Formats: sequence, structure tokens, C-alpha cells
Amino acid sequence: MHRLMDRDFLSAALLFVIGAVALSQTSDDAPRDWVLPFLAIYALLAIGAALFLRFLLNSFVKNTPDLIRLLRADTPIYTDVAVFCVVVLCWVLLMYGLGFWLASFFMLSATSLYLTREKTTRNMAINVVVSLGACVVAYVVFLHVFYVPLPAASWWAGLR
Amino acid sequence: MIDGLIMAFQPEVMLWMVVGIMMGMVVGTLPGLTATMGTALLVPFTFALDTASGIAMLGGLYVCAMFSDAIPAVLVNTPGTPAAMATAFDGYPMTQQGRSQEAIVAACFSSALGTVFGAGCYLLLAWPMIEVALKFGPPQFFWLGVFALTIVGSVAGKSLLKGLAGGAIGIMISCIGISHATELSRFTFGIPEFRGGFSLVAALIGVFAIPQILLMVSEMRKKDFIAEYTRAPGVALKTMKEVLSRPVHFIRSASIGSFIGILPGAGSPIAALVSYNEAKRWSKDGKTFGQGNVHGVTASEIANNAAAPASMIPMVTLGIPGSAPAAVIAGALMLRGLNPGPELFRSDGSLIYAFGWSLLIAGVVIFFLGIIFAPLLARIIRIPLRLLAPMIMLLAVIGAYAIRNNIFDVYFMLCLGVFVFLIRKVDFHPGPIGLGLILGPIIEPNLVQATYMSDASSVFNVFFTGAVNLTLIVLIVLSVGFVAWTRWKEGAEEGAQQNAQQGVETRTNELGVS
Repeated sequence: MHRLMDRDFLSAALLFVIGAVALSQTSDDAPRDWVLPFLAIYALLAIGAALFLRFLLNSFVKNTPDLIRLLRADTPIYTDVAVFCVVVLCWVLLMYGLGFWLASFFMLSATSLYLTREKTTRNMAINVVVSLGACVVAYVVFLHVFYVPLPAASWWAGLR
Repeated sequence: MIDGLIMAFQPEVMLWMVVGIMMGMVVGTLPGLTATMGTALLVPFTFALDTASGIAMLGGLYVCAMFSDAIPAVLVNTPGTPAAMATAFDGYPMTQQGRSQEAIVAACFSSALGTVFGAGCYLLLAWPMIEVALKFGPPQFFWLGVFALTIVGSVAGKSLLKGLAGGAIGIMISCIGISHATELSRFTFGIPEFRGGFSLVAALIGVFAIPQILLMVSEMRKKDFIAEYTRAPGVALKTMKEVLSRPVHFIRSASIGSFIGILPGAGSPIAALVSYNEAKRWSKDGKTFGQGNVHGVTASEIANNAAAPASMIPMVTLGIPGSAPAAVIAGALMLRGLNPGPELFRSDGSLIYAFGWSLLIAGVVIFFLGIIFAPLLARIIRIPLRLLAPMIMLLAVIGAYAIRNNIFDVYFMLCLGVFVFLIRKVDFHPGPIGLGLILGPIIEPNLVQATYMSDASSVFNVFFTGAVNLTLIVLIVLSVGFVAWTRWKEGAEEGAQQNAQQGVETRTNELGVS
């Protein structure tokens, strides 16, 4: 069963899934429009098949498998990445309600506070000050120099 | 030409060119802000200036953005513009080895050399070069795109098969949206927002920046910074000597950049990629490309900067802009009642030459700016990762949003970034995906147009006849053959090393038993 964590097997499965999903979106209309997408899809499927054959061959001749190892010791690392992703997701979803700049300040503060290993008062103060500074500089540069209309707050009459 | 030189050296022209260069520094460094956007934003300000100063400012911004896009590519593996994608291949590994200052100096010096070479072509070789460029039509552009695609062999990482698959994934993503021939919706999954396709810049930020940020977060428990920064006195001089020690490398990269620059629609990204590939192919230490070889950085930067002034050649000779910023500059001239083309070259020759000289001088100014700022910029790697990762995320999101003011590009960028981060675990490299994203929009429209042309004659006549087509096909065959041969050689060497190691282990075990 652990052989299913083989990199070639997982890659082949991934390519088959992408190829199948892409194929389901194609049509026979306007063949000129489908030349390149079909070439790309068939290339993906062919490479998927080649990787699968290599996996089978390696299993058959009992070569050392190239397995992905998920270690229990790495759980904190996966947690860090997951928490970071969740905070970023919340930021992206909340930016239309809170406004881009307030939401960005919260995102910067929350992620940097979470990622700080030594949670001393000094480090936390640095995180908050740097987050605020980054937001202010970005606000001036992007809104007033480059006129990027970043999402405005809809829940309160705050900054854009 | 002398009149143009005198005009370019007027204090007012020089001053506004430097202002443009400073703006270019900001535009190139911030991912998501492109040279096109920067020049377009500056156009209204040029109305208050005389024509020579106005276009010098726009030209200065463009060529400087082509240098400064290397800074985030080198420091945080995030190309400032698509043209710096190849710079990141070796620039970021150099930063990880604590050689960020060397990488920035190399990028700056080679950008300056590339700009001077491209501007030299503009001043001296505009007409002969345009004769060759006019021989390029859709089939030739198609083959040029396919030739550039062979770079997958260089940037595939450990597995060539997975590199090819990455390229195919990139091309498929580039096909999302309305098609070129019959305006058909492709890969839209019934979602209306998909019909507009995706911004290339947002997609590239997704492929390069987001996985890098997540990687930083995952490494946070092992290290506090990207790398240790150590002051390296004399590194600037040493790096410049290193760049100058390979004149053939410089001339090859600059020629590739200048030639691809004059081809309308090809532009700096493809110039940088082709140059990187050729540098790796012809280098004696080609194996170290992708692992922090300074010549990988210089190959990309020389070419993308040589392409910038060269892209002005078709604009001033034929009235056809060679790149999007060149189109904006052409627009700025037209707003003043000056129509770019052969007539303008004849009627206002000194202005056109002054523009060429301004681009050349801009190259020299970029060099001094880069040398001054390199030690400061190199210190970015000392910013703790806990602060750096969220800040890059903020810039990535603003960059993806700023291109089209579309939040959907941000969602797409984040999803693509997480996807690339995950598939890196099974040895897929982001390079080929980025390559597919850049080359898809070049290959497909030309392929479609060429197939329409073949309706009038035949596929064979359109694709397989003519000196340019045949030259490109031969180059593609040679390139594929070279990739296959080097991969086979590397595989054989690895196999021999493994066998030798196994032999030593067996012998040691036997001796231990006896």
C-alpha cells in the first residue's frame, strides 16, 4: 500500500486527472481552436502513461521506490503552512467587507505574530509596527502613485 | 546622429530620463506592475515636457524596469515582470548561497551592457535588422515559439518527463478563455469570469511567488532568514570582471536579445529564455546552471535589456511597435502629431537618434544606480522570514489585482500557487509551467493564423518552406537532440557512479565478513 506514495505513481495519477478534466471540456467545433489544447492534453496523458509504466516497472523489478515520506515530526510544519493559508484565505474573503488596507493590516499582523517563535513583547511590537508601516507605504505607492483601485470597505466608511 | 547626441545630452532631457529611470526602478521591483503600465501612467506627464525629454523619460522607465525586475527575482524568487523569469532560475539559488549582492551586481552590470548593445543596434543597425525581421510571419513566429519551448530541457529539474508535463500544463492554462479563431469558450467550466482568460502576470506570480512564500513558511522552524548576509568588499569589481571574462557569452546573449526584440510580439521574456538556454547549452559549466551560476543571471539580463531598445527599432522604422511599452511610446509620439515610421525618421531624424542616445545613456545610469543600491538591496535577505513572507504575500496580491483590477485574478493566482506548491513535492518544477504560460500566447495565435494561410496553399508550403522556417526547424531538431544527448549522458554518468558505489559497498561488506 505504501507504494502508492511513489512520486511517479502520484504524478501519473495527477496527470490523468488533469487530462481527463480537460478532455471533458473540449468539443469538436472549430478544430483550429483545439489544435494546441489537444496537443497539450495528449502530451499530458502520454507522459502520465509513461510515468505509470515506469512505476510498474520499478515495482516489478523491486527497485528502491521514490516515496514521499510524511513524518509525524513534520506535523508542526504542515500546521504552519495550513494556518498561513487559512489566514490568507480569510484576508482575501474579508477585504471587500473591511476594506483592503484594514484587512491587510490584520493579515500581516496575524501571520507574523503566529510565525514568531519567540513571542516576546519586543518581537510582537516589531511585528505590529512593521505591518502598519508596510500597509501605509503600500497605500501611498499603489493608491496615490499608481492609482490601483484596491477593494473599498463595504461594512464601514473606511479607507479604500 | 550627432545632432541627436547633442539633444540627448541637454540637461533637461537627462533630468527627465533619470526621473523615468527612478520610476522604472519602482515599477520593475514591484511584482505586478509592468513596464507597460508604468509608461502608460507617465504619458500624461510628458505633455508638459518637450518631445525629446518626454520620450527619454518613457524610454528610461522601460529599460530600467527591465533591470529592476531582476531584483525580486534574485532576492525572493519572484520575477518583477515576465522578462525576469529566467533570471530567477540562477539568481535565487545565488541568494540562498548568501551571494545576493553578487547576483544583483551581475544583473545590473549585464543589464547595462545589454541596454548599451541594444541601443547601439538601434543607432547603427536599425535598417538592416528590420529587413530580416520582415521575413517573420505567423509560421516563423510559431517555430520561434516551439524553439523557445525546447528550453524545457534546461529548466525541467530532475525529471525531463515532468518538465514536459509542466510545460503542457502551462500551455493548457494559457488556453483558458475565448479562443483566437472563432471566439469559442475553452476550459471555462461554465464560469463566466473564466471567459476573459487570466492575466499572465497574475499566473506567473502564482507559479513563482506563492509556492516560494509557502516554502518560506514551511522552513520557518529551521531558519530565520533566507540566507546569512555577509558584507563582501570588492564583490562588485570581481563580478564585473567575471561578466567581462566571457565576451562570446555577452555577444551571443545581446545578439539574441536584440534580434528577438525587433520581432513584434516576441519581446523580452522570450529573448531572456532563449538566451538562457543557449548560454547553458554552450557553457562548459552548463551543469551548474539552475544552481546559482552567475552566467545564468547575466544571460537572461543581457538579453532582456538588449531587447528593450531593439523593440523600438520596428516602431521608428516601420511604425510597428516591437513590444507593449514601445506601443505606448508610439502613442505618446502620435499624441504630439508625430507618426512613428519611415517618414518621422526622415523628417525628425535628430529626435529619433536622440531617443536612441537617451536609451544608451540610460544603460549607463542604470549601472551606477544598481552599483549604489546593490549592497542595500542585498540586505533584504536579512529581514526575518516571519515578516518577509506576509509582506511578499501582500505585494503578490496587490500585483495580481493591479493588472486588471480583477479580484478573480487574485483567486486564480492563489489557487495556482497552492497547486504548484503541492506538485513540487512530486518533483514538478515551476519553470516549465511558467514557460508554457509565456509561450502559449505566442505559439497559439501564430499557429491559428498559419493554418488559415495554409488554406490558400498547403500546410507544407506554409510551415516547411523558406529559409527562416527551415533554419528554425533545424535549430529545434538540434536543440531537442542536444537535450536528449545531455540527459542520456547525465543518466549514464549517474548510473556509473551508482554502480561504482555499490561495488565499493559490496567489497567493503565482503572484507568485513572475511
